[in-house]
Amino acid sequence: MPDTASVKTGALKRLIGPVIGPVIDPVAFDFWAAKVNPLLSWERPLARVVARQVAARDSVTLVLKPNRHVPPVQAGQHVPVTVEVDGVRLTRSYSPSSVGGKRGKGCLAITVKRIPGGRVSSHLCQNVRVGDVLELGEAFGEMTLRPEVPRWLYIAAGSGITPLMSLLRAQAAGQSRADVTLLYWARTRADLCFLDELRHLDSHQPGVRVHIILTREAALLPGEHSGRPDAALLTQLVPDLAERRVYACGTGGFVDSLRTLLADQVAGFDAEAFTLPERAAVAGAPVQVTLRRSGRVLDIPAGEALLPALEARGIHPKHGCRMGICNSCACDRISGTSENLNTGATQTEPGVVRICISAARSDMTLDL
Amino acid sequence: MTALPPSISSRAARKSLSRERLSREQVEQFGAELDALRERTLADIGEQDARYIKRIYAAVRYTGALGRGLLFFGIFPPAWLLGTLLLGISKILENMELGHNVMHGQYDWMNDPRFDGKTYEWDIVGTGDNWRKTHNYSHHTYTNIKGMDDDVGYGVLRLFPEQRWRPFFLGQPLYAVIFALFFQWGVAIQDIRLGRYFAGRMTGAELREEFRPTGRKMRRQLLKDYVFFPLLAGPFFLPVLLGNLVANGLRNLWTFMIIFCGHFTANVEVFPKSIIKNETRGQWYLRQLRGSSNLTGSKLLHIMSGNLSHQIEHHLFPDIPARRYAEMSKEVRAICRRYGIFYNTGSLVSQFSQVIWRILRYSLPSKPVKLDGKMLMAD
Repeated sequence: MPDTASVKTGALKRLIGPVIGPVIDPVAFDFWAAKVNPLLSWERPLARVVARQVAARDSVTLVLKPNRHVPPVQAGQHVPVTVEVDGVRLTRSYSPSSVGGKRGKGCLAITVKRIPGGRVSSHLCQNVRVGDVLELGEAFGEMTLRPEVPRWLYIAAGSGITPLMSLLRAQAAGQSRADVTLLYWARTRADLCFLDELRHLDSHQPGVRVHIILTREAALLPGEHSGRPDAALLTQLVPDLAERRVYACGTGGFVDSLRTLLADQVAGFDAEAFTLPERAAVAGAPVQVTLRRSGRVLDIPAGEALLPALEARGIHPKHGCRMGICNSCACDRISGTSENLNTGATQTEPGVVRICISAARSDMTLDL
Repeated sequence: MTALPPSISSRAARKSLSRERLSREQVEQFGAELDALRERTLADIGEQDARYIKRIYAAVRYTGALGRGLLFFGIFPPAWLLGTLLLGISKILENMELGHNVMHGQYDWMNDPRFDGKTYEWDIVGTGDNWRKTHNYSHHTYTNIKGMDDDVGYGVLRLFPEQRWRPFFLGQPLYAVIFALFFQWGVAIQDIRLGRYFAGRMTGAELREEFRPTGRKMRRQLLKDYVFFPLLAGPFFLPVLLGNLVANGLRNLWTFMIIFCGHFTANVEVFPKSIIKNETRGQWYLRQLRGSSNLTGSKLLHIMSGNLSHQIEHHLFPDIPARRYAEMSKEVRAICRRYGIFYNTGSLVSQFSQVIWRILRYSLPSKPVKLDGKMLMAD
């Protein structure tokens, strides 16, 4: 829900947009608009932090008020959040849940767990304050509400709880009698997010059962369990396993082991795993380079300069000096690790890459 | 490497040193030292550079708004004068310290679409795309190579004895003044290369097709400065129009002067095409150095010239944020001194006088100088 100031400019823009749109400079517009209200923008989806609270050890929940350019988000989806850290804009995805209540109407809440060495999560947990403005992107993700499914098993590990929490909240708010069992894995009790809210759902929301499983806690309290996911634990906690459809979210290893255990035992299995940076491929090993615009996928040896490698495969991207100075061949690296062949430095963060002096060091997607 | 003679600072010593050529090996060592300087500087690029370019952006916006605002009261001469001056400053800052540097990709590491080198569009009649081609690629890769770098005389001026004299050049003092006044238009059509059309190597249809994006940009710029803002002023249409015209003109003269001081001072050299055959990184660095010249002056001069007052450092490191050049120039100078390479710098007055001398001198016939076989190294 946009605030009043953006409603006004929204109407103004609809009125004058078609006339001055073609001659407006959106960057200059935003420069002046931000002096009035930091959420005002010609076209950028922005959100202001309106509340901040600690959710668990190393975890912070930020409540965000979006402007009118933020596209709608469904429960369970992820949203790219862009912040500036040390002068560099960095993007990571988080699963927001909508916030209820009068004051929070239209707001989104993201819960961020700080990862040691993680630049964005550290920034969001430690530096971001109420009043700061973040840029959001378009929501993505397939694990959304499906009212036709009668029985659910949600399985979360660590911060994998966030999209599932968003679904649980949406189901609770919708008063639907969804039958959901949640298994929530964490290392210790202090790492659990949303504990009070989950306890409340477990005792007050018909159909919702919550089980907490801790892997590194010395002494367990009543109602807590321990151990890694295995068949015995799962059948003990979820006797009607076969009738439930599974949504799981956690690290790649966690999700893989669940899939092996459960895929044939349940009524359906969907999972999302956190993506970890890929390890750099050794020189010469084939990596897959995807060209987003042309849709072509090519096998190129890791460590080989991209421009000549593409040319050898009949693709002729724009280029100039072929020695890394003129920037003509600069293109966006959407994903993957590249190596600067002049310096040997590798870069994993999405950004601009000069393909004449860069090689792929992992599977990669280029904006070509 | 030979030790530095104590008399290196004297003019005569510089002259003899600049003629004494380095060995192939020395050139590579020289290049390795510059590479190290490059890596050292890149490692430190970050938040303060981001803050700087955002401040420059803000300065462009504020001076521009203030200038245009004052021009609305342009019926009062002091307001007109100050408004015109501020708008001129805004355009100079935008073209030089912001646009030119951003389009080199100096701020690409910020991942900020506002400062993205491959999409930035600047406040001049030429398109960013054409500039990226003629300047970033042709000029910076083939710096001062006759026949490859269009900036050597821009096809209308004879600035080096190595260029063949034709009677046409007798008029070049006049052409230079016109070129300076209309510099942005020269930049705009540089890539169209009308010569190809007049030589019959391009059809009218091809020319029109190639001209289309530039035509669109020209129309947009003209509408903005000579229709939209003057109309906004209502009865004060004329002072606003004149103010914008003069501001654009001031920007043209200033950029012409700075750019000509960067490559056409007395001690700058031109090179034959053969020089890029198997050119190494060290040789490329050396050619950039010998084809460029700096300006000494205040911090204000450096900012207002987009740090092209450090043309040498800009040509050695075109993709490093230009605000770093002042710092780097100390080390580049020290490296040059150690290798006995002439470092071409001087005040704006001295350097621009040399440019004017070149324009006047080479409008007249001179003993032809052969470029063939010119090499950077002794062996």
